[in-house]
Amino acid sequence: MVGYSGRLKCLILILALFFSGYSVAEDANVSWAQLNAAQQAVLKPLASEWDTLRPWQREKMLDIARDYSNMSPNKQELVQKRLSRWSRMTPYERENARKKYQEFQALSPEKKEELRKKWLGYQKYSESQRLKLRSESPDSYTDADLE
Amino acid sequence: MSKYENEVTSNTGNHMVQNTPEYNEFAEAQLAHSVVGLLDAHVQHVDAEISNRLLVARGLAVSQLTKLQTQVVVSHEVNQSGNVLQWFGEHVGQYVGHHRLMSFILVTAALLLAFFAAQQFGLNNNLEHSDAYLLASDLPPEAYADKGFDAWLDTAAD
Repeated sequence: MVGYSGRLKCLILILALFFSGYSVAEDANVSWAQLNAAQQAVLKPLASEWDTLRPWQREKMLDIARDYSNMSPNKQELVQKRLSRWSRMTPYERENARKKYQEFQALSPEKKEELRKKWLGYQKYSESQRLKLRSESPDSYTDADLE
Repeated sequence: MSKYENEVTSNTGNHMVQNTPEYNEFAEAQLAHSVVGLLDAHVQHVDAEISNRLLVARGLAVSQLTKLQTQVVVSHEVNQSGNVLQWFGEHVGQYVGHHRLMSFILVTAALLLAFFAAQQFGLNNNLEHSDAYLLASDLPPEAYADKGFDAWLDTAAD
């Protein structure tokens, strides 16, 4: 016969599995038609390719839609503007961007401003020059590692 | 030396050495036996009033003894349950011991609350790290992903 502590452990395990499973399964396989109006409005740049995205990619995009409502109008505009470009980036580029963003967040406001100016300076380089710089920088991991 | 002690001494004879634990134990048993014998012999001559008072006193003594034994057993049972709520005091421990269903519900509710609080905390903690905030950051996402920009920064730093 299962004792008091045994029943308690079972209940906790079941609840933990239920809630963790629910939170993942809830978003993973939602088609474009199943998104609500607010989600569709935010993710509109991705409408044509939504149904081709993998479940974990959809989940990431739905996270963006969720956080979008907590942002100021200026930030929301930036998100809308950059979402298409973001969706077209490879998994490697996205993962690299997340890593660099974390590092950027840790910088002081002065350093952030300095980096922002440097990015503008980098934009003045020609595409061929930038391609040369990219080709000289080896990948630490490939897209296949992230699939 | 009293009359009863004399009897004990005479009964023990030469078989036991006085003032040893064995002797004392045997002497006590003999004394009790003698008391019982004397009481039995004189019980017929005790008047009704004294008999009633003895009966009441005996009843009180027995009920007191029963109460003490019950407390010891309950305390032992509660301690054996090993409930962590006993850390909050004996009364809480006894309550939990007597209300297992209620304590089970309370513990479950507390765990659920802690689970949702942890999730909420994790959600808030990760809010600034989500992709939405990356997209809305000072730099566009391609700036973070462009390894050419990284290389150029390293070159510029040298």
